Amino acid sequence: MINLAARDIKHTLGKFLVTAMGVGMLLGLVLVMIGVYRGMMVEAEILLNDISADIWIVQEDTLGPFAESSRVHEDLKNIIRAVQGIEKSEAMTFQNIQLPRKDKSVLAFAVGYDIHGAINPINPKRLVKGRNLKNDHYEIVVTDSTGFKLGEEIKLGRNYYKVVGITSKTVSSGGDPLVYISLKDAQELQFLYSNKEIQNDEARGIKNSESYRANAIIATIKSGFDIEKVAADIRKWQHKNVYTAKEQSDILTKNLIEKSAQQIGLFTAILVVVSTIIIALIIYTMTLEKMKVISIMKLMGLPNSLIIEMIVKETLLLGIFAFIFGNIFSHLIYDKFPKLVVLQIPDAWILFGVVIIASILASFVGVKKVISADPAAAIGG
Amino acid sequence: MNKQSAIKVQNLVKHFGKDDNLVRVIENASFEIQKGEVVALIAPSGAGKTTLLMMIGCVIEPTSGEIWLGKNKVYHDKWLAKDTRRIRREKIGFIFQAHYLVPFLNVLENITLLPQANKVSEKEAQKKAMELLKYFEIDDKAYNMSSQLSGGQNQRVAIARALANNPEIILADEPTAALDGERAVSVIKMLKKIAAEQNVAIITVTHDERILPYCDRIMKIENRGIVFHDVDDEGIL
Repeated sequence: MINLAARDIKHTLGKFLVTAMGVGMLLGLVLVMIGVYRGMMVEAEILLNDISADIWIVQEDTLGPFAESSRVHEDLKNIIRAVQGIEKSEAMTFQNIQLPRKDKSVLAFAVGYDIHGAINPINPKRLVKGRNLKNDHYEIVVTDSTGFKLGEEIKLGRNYYKVVGITSKTVSSGGDPLVYISLKDAQELQFLYSNKEIQNDEARGIKNSESYRANAIIATIKSGFDIEKVAADIRKWQHKNVYTAKEQSDILTKNLIEKSAQQIGLFTAILVVVSTIIIALIIYTMTLEKMKVISIMKLMGLPNSLIIEMIVKETLLLGIFAFIFGNIFSHLIYDKFPKLVVLQIPDAWILFGVVIIASILASFVGVKKVISADPAAAIGG
Repeated sequence: MNKQSAIKVQNLVKHFGKDDNLVRVIENASFEIQKGEVVALIAPSGAGKTTLLMMIGCVIEPTSGEIWLGKNKVYHDKWLAKDTRRIRREKIGFIFQAHYLVPFLNVLENITLLPQANKVSEKEAQKKAMELLKYFEIDDKAYNMSSQLSGGQNQRVAIARALANNPEIILADEPTAALDGERAVSVIKMLKKIAAEQNVAIITVTHDERILPYCDRIMKIENRGIVFHDVDDEGIL
């Protein structure tokens, strides 16, 4: 049997391809939106994965430094180290800082860690230039997206910090570039007030004891010990909140990204609905253009099934071509976005399924028009 | 029923609307058309020519009456066949005022479309189509699109399409209206030849008196009924 859909598409190929490209761009945006969500998930876990801690000890009744303010004494790390089952424990700080540049400052997320400690948050695979921090003061490792170069000096607080290392693709859960400084420098930046403020506080009888604090103590567990049990022990005796790596990951992904995910999900759903409506309108218009021919076909006695098959096939082909163009479009633009966009093959297949279902739904408007076409309309006019 | 009868209509009635809006188009029309006959259907505009043609073609349902196509009674106050479209597909060929070829199919595909819908193999349908195109002397245009043909060539393709499913009846709605005198005569001569050679009954709606001399009979709708005239009656239109 003659493939009517293929013949019709061939007859108006240019128009069909341009239409498919237009719908494809919408589908490409859907893929990018999903990619943004995937990117957020990946970015949220970069720091967690690089630190590779088994448990996070944070201020009691808080969700920890990624969700809300958390302060613990730095020396808590020594107490934690003595808990049965703990292998290593270190204090760390996490804070947003502005890195001043000539043109405009760069918002970054600074990780402060003990450079002599047992846990180094800098993943050696990501350190693409320079070295780790070696000195307790005035050195900084930055990620490449900050735009700073090795040897450059950055003024933070009262002092200048020299860029000694550059990492690649390290970002915080918020998508800000990560920088690494020593714990001492980080404590100074986060907790040390200006001289005038200290004088003022002393006059009021307030003694500043903040500079020996950290935002979290992180620890690894010896093999053979139950993480949950060790965490429960610390919770009970140290009056701190303790999160396992999985719980910390959930805080970052579910709690912090959930709203963004819902936002992206809603946008994606709207885009899919808009694409379906556009495909339906295109098919409706294409069917309207063929109404005379369809009436003649029905008058001659061609079965509805043959004409409906043509409409459904055309809609499916439009959806498939749009999907292909959408994939090409998304791969052309995904790396132009400021935040990480991760395009995954399974997501594309899911979208393909959605497009097929949407195309079948969209074809109903054309099919309805075919069924209602009056064969008598072929005569005259 | 006569064994040579192609179309028989008895007491056919067609009304549109109801009550105060009732329009009586055809009242108790009865006639019979034999195989191989070419009959011109004439009447003033709005008198019901196309309605009558569409009732015979199983497109518009009559209000009452009886219709036979060949030996089969297809209508007796209701359609007797479940699928009237199948009757059209298998028994009837249609020719229109314009060629109305499917624009996205080439000449050969336009002609083979209906036979293939009738489950004739593609090869067989193409063979028959090529024979028809040769008959109409346009076999060199088999792979052209209709947009690449002249008006006369397109009308010949449309006639070939109407013949492709070996119909017993051809219903033509002003097939020469869009053609100049020479081409109009050529088309009606062609239809006459087909009717004789293939034993097909042809009813052609027309306003074109140039083609009347080539018809066997003239069927006129008068006072909602059917009256037959000889082809040499003067001032018939």
